[in-house]
Amino acid sequence: MRLKDLGSRPAPATLRNMFSRIVRGHGPAVSVQRCQIPYWQERGWQQRGNTYTGAYQTRHGAFSGEIRQHHGTDIEFFLYQPSQEIQRHSHWTCFQHHGNDWYLVHMGRRPKDVSSGIMTIERLITEAFEE
Amino acid sequence: MKRLSVVVAGTGQIRDVEIQPGTTAGDILNQLSLRDYLLSKGPNDPFFAAAESIFDKVNDGEKIFASTKAEVGLLCA
Repeated sequence: MRLKDLGSRPAPATLRNMFSRIVRGHGPAVSVQRCQIPYWQERGWQQRGNTYTGAYQTRHGAFSGEIRQHHGTDIEFFLYQPSQEIQRHSHWTCFQHHGNDWYLVHMGRRPKDVSSGIMTIERLITEAFEE
Repeated sequence: MKRLSVVVAGTGQIRDVEIQPGTTAGDILNQLSLRDYLLSKGPNDPFFAAAESIFDKVNDGEKIFASTKAEVGLLCA
């Protein structure tokens, strides 16, 4: 006898799953809601009252910052311990020392919101490293 | 035709748009009534000029940012 009947046994789970998916077809698509949060929040800044703390994040590194929103668009942006690259940037004179290695970044044209200001400073830091 | 998600940085609101070849950054901002804003792919990238055609510079489904105009300066020369 060249063949022996050994009876039947369950197929492996992977095969069973594959066949059941073929029979069932694809399930309904799950609609994933997009997270609509301000940029400052998306970048991990924390808000306490009118003060925001966090980091300006670039591909060259993250730099600690603080933002004080006094009224509406009256917003002050601070940067802690700017690197040598930032200090060599053509706009370095726009950074006013406020003690303890904190610098106020003077805005010639003020952003209308905190998020736009963060993006502006992140762009400036990137420029400083790539100049 | 490409689809873009324009994130308004200040609010996080996302506006979906479809663009065709030749669409400029200014066209998008006007269409979305974001007249005091600038478009960019993010803080590591430069702003698109208003008259710049952006169709070839973005990917279908990409997220881009609209932020208000701001500039570090004035104390400086």
